[in-house]
Amino acid sequence: MAEDRVPTWEDVARRYGRKIYTFAYRLTGNPDDASDLVQEVLLRVRKGLANYTPGSFEGWLWRITRNAFLDEVRKKKRRPTTQLPEDDRAIVGSTPSPDEVLASVRLSDDVQAALLKIPLEFRECVVLCDVVGLSYEEISSAIDAPVGTVRSRIHRGRKQLRGLLTWPM
Amino acid sequence: MADVNHTHEIDVSTHIDADVECTIGELLSAYLDGELRVGELDLVVSHLNDCLECIAEFHDLKEARAAVRMMPMLQVPESAMPAAHYGPELSAFLDGELTADEQQMIVKHLQTCTDCLLELQDLDGARTAIRSLPGLEPPTPIAPRLPVHHQRTSLRRLGVAAAAVIGAILITFNMASSGPEPTAVDLDQLADQHNVRLSVEDGVSGVPVNAPGATP
Ligand SMILES: [Zn+2]
Ligand SMILES: [Zn+2]
Repeated sequence: MAEDRVPTWEDVARRYGRKIYTFAYRLTGNPDDASDLVQEVLLRVRKGLANYTPGSFEGWLWRITRNAFLDEVRKKKRRPTTQLPEDDRAIVGSTPSPDEVLASVRLSDDVQAALLKIPLEFRECVVLCDVVGLSYEEISSAIDAPVGTVRSRIHRGRKQLRGLLTWPM
Repeated sequence: MADVNHTHEIDVSTHIDADVECTIGELLSAYLDGELRVGELDLVVSHLNDCLECIAEFHDLKEARAAVRMMPMLQVPESAMPAAHYGPELSAFLDGELTADEQQMIVKHLQTCTDCLLELQDLDGARTAIRSLPGLEPPTPIAPRLPVHHQRTSLRRLGVAAAAVIGAILITFNMASSGPEPTAVDLDQLADQHNVRLSVEDGVSGVPVNAPGATP
């Protein structure tokens, strides 16, 4: 997204809806929580856009997303659930065989389950980095922590994750 | 920093112990992500030449990263997308209570959204109906004016502008035939809808928060 123009709400919903949903889903493993979060974030974005001054849009958007996520977690007074996802509807370009689909869903489920087992602080940074695709700098601005902290959390998150993944890769 | 390398090479055995890791370790993820700072790259590359433990760790990290990255982007369920329409903002728009930016946003939206345009028409009808009610004398002294009030004078002009815009838009959409019917408007219902929307819209907190629980 260009840095120098204010996107419309429709732009944001269209371009980032899936990313926000996936972010929330990877953090919670729960489709309902992910849906709630998308709604909340898009409403906040709509309100916020009127006062948004062009700058780092990603930083701005993910700070809103992250704050909304923490608010939801606090509001619901429960830790992100560890329920296993049953609902990984992959977006597939070409048509893979049923076996390929099943295998990839299984792998994806394993990784999702492992993600839910690592501390939220690590999970959040790993997801922002590897799912959302933010730079360390952007993550730092989104979670309001120094880049050094981001770096350390991503590293420790990945290490723990690898320890939890048993399948040969 | 210089003796990091040194310490590690001398005491390779501690590397096997999960608790004690080579200090270069933390740089490996940043290396993978192309996020090393100036000067760190050489350090890491030369270290990876002769530290088997770090090479192994590097592969682990790479696998963990690949595992997360291969997870698919998910499709947002239809129900999760909030309607791209404006509720409370429409009334504020009519009353000229929006900022110029917000106003612009609404005008732009109204050019393409018949739903909101119809609602705006309803609201306008309701507003007219209320305003045409006979004025009554206030029973008690009028409530003190809120400090917000003095800001409104300039905004009221926006209200006039808003009305003009609606007029223009309505004409474009050629809806004069159906026209607003103020008498048919159920004000209570309108107000209810409004409250519901308002509660949904509540609260933008830009306050940065710390994640709960332990910090590394
Ligand atoms: Zn090493
Ligand atoms: Zn609309």
